[in-house]
Amino acid sequence: MGARRRVPGLERERARWGWRFVAPGIVFFSIFSFYPMLNAFWTSFFNKKLLSLKSPDFVGLANYVRVLGSPEFWNSARATGVFTLGVFIPLFSLSLLFAALITGLRRGRRLVQAALYSPAVLSSVVAALIWLLMLDPRGLANQFANFLAGTPGVDRKWLADARMVQISTMIVYVWKYLGYFTILFVTGMGKIPESVYEAAMIDGAGPFRRFFSVTLPLLRPTTVMVTVMIVIQCMKTFSTQYLFTQSGAPSAPINVITLNIYNTAMRDLNIGRASVMSTLLFMLMLGLTYVQLRFSRRGEDDL
Amino acid sequence: MTETASKRVAKTLGTLGRASGAAVLAISCALIVVPLVFMLSASFMPALDIVKIPYRWIPETWKPANYVRALAGNDGAWMYLRNILNSVVVSGAIAASTVMLSSLVGYGLAKFRFKGRDAVFMAMMGTMMIPFETVMIPLYLIIIKLGLQNSYAGLILPFMMNAFGVFVMRQYLVTFPDEILDAARIDGCSEPRIYWDIVFRNSGPAAATLAVLAFRQQWDNLLWPLLVAQEERMKTIPAYIVKFAAEKHADEGAMMAVAAIASIPVFVLFFSLSKYFLGGSAVYQAGKE
Repeated sequence: MGARRRVPGLERERARWGWRFVAPGIVFFSIFSFYPMLNAFWTSFFNKKLLSLKSPDFVGLANYVRVLGSPEFWNSARATGVFTLGVFIPLFSLSLLFAALITGLRRGRRLVQAALYSPAVLSSVVAALIWLLMLDPRGLANQFANFLAGTPGVDRKWLADARMVQISTMIVYVWKYLGYFTILFVTGMGKIPESVYEAAMIDGAGPFRRFFSVTLPLLRPTTVMVTVMIVIQCMKTFSTQYLFTQSGAPSAPINVITLNIYNTAMRDLNIGRASVMSTLLFMLMLGLTYVQLRFSRRGEDDL
Repeated sequence: MTETASKRVAKTLGTLGRASGAAVLAISCALIVVPLVFMLSASFMPALDIVKIPYRWIPETWKPANYVRALAGNDGAWMYLRNILNSVVVSGAIAASTVMLSSLVGYGLAKFRFKGRDAVFMAMMGTMMIPFETVMIPLYLIIIKLGLQNSYAGLILPFMMNAFGVFVMRQYLVTFPDEILDAARIDGCSEPRIYWDIVFRNSGPAAATLAVLAFRQQWDNLLWPLLVAQEERMKTIPAYIVKFAAEKHADEGAMMAVAAIASIPVFVLFFSLSKYFLGGSAVYQAGKE
């Protein structure tokens, strides 16, 4: 009897300890995640200025109308879209290719992975800075391109031409993250059981057939994850574009959405409009995460 | 007989394929490393030699003074030293607090039953979807209101823990044997002591990986220090680099010396812990569960 009465009390005591351990997290995320999120949404309806003492006026959807009607915003949306696509295609296919080659390697895997991964160790700013010098009109990039194309003395205007500066930012990004995504793919491929390959080999499947009919379908959870990770990271790119524009590159072609938010808030001091863009960015990310969840669920059903 | 012949052909093809694969990898690795070698060699050159055609990989005239210039700055205020210290302090504090708070919360979520636990967990995981760019301005306003601009507290506070850390620690601690915890309770051990002496002391591998990741991520952070630390003496390394490179009389050799100095600690950290990153990282495994 006594024991039975004690158990609910004990459970309640344990539950209380659970809350105590979790409490710092609840406090932290409320202050530094949920409140700012709601605040950004709320502010997007006011004409709030940074450091202004005047209390902001409610303007309804006026900020949204202004932002969605401004060519500068659509330019940023396009710059982000171009950058994301221009990074995604080479980054995804090259890291998949390298992972397949590394998996087939008998010796030196660690060395190859370390070499490919080494740029990922650098800060984004350092990576951008190195390339800033290499892309100089008299720098290595022109020398290398001219050596390959056999055209001595041609300047490709890596940091001056609108199209080229977009390509330059993509090069920095692909270079930096190639090793990281290669390793994710290598890990994913390592989880595919050897017996499946043996069965395919007995059935007479060649290396290409094995890659497309065995590796790719079974790698689906990894490919979905890598796809979403690359897209989300690209949409949040900031450091490379910031450093390039600070160092004199034309800003319009690489004025990505995060750079635009930063400048709208810190240079134009227009917090209301910056919040509109922040809210739109959040909704886009939410949509992408939803897509990821749906696709990865379906992947599990297949298996 | 035909079977052995076709097997031999297949074997030769396989060897050829492997060899060409290895060749592709070797060339790619060499190309990937080129910018790193460039950074090192250019950091010892006078600015004019960096844009010499063709580029000399080994400096003709050595200029170690670039490193002095990098540390002293273009204005000779030696601000880089202070900014490096700032980066170490901020990244270190964030790594430590991320591990501490994440393990505390992760333990609460993994080993206690209480109403609303799953809702709390889901809500915390939901914050992973909030891009930092979305909340940075409200966060900045909070910091202004608290009067914490240009302070370590302002740089550290918003990053003291994160949902990913909670997730990793919870996944790790779910498998922690309940028998040990119950035995300690029967021995009259208090809950905080169970957490500290038994749980925390035994979460080494997960805590180490998390600490390295948090440190690394913060070391790289540019956006937040740009907002909060506008005074020179409170800048961190990335903000210093941007400022140094944008200055009118910046010397290219010194720029690369700045970059090299910023990279040395992370390279040391990376290569001493490479098994965590290259052998299919522990955190990645945790993320898959």
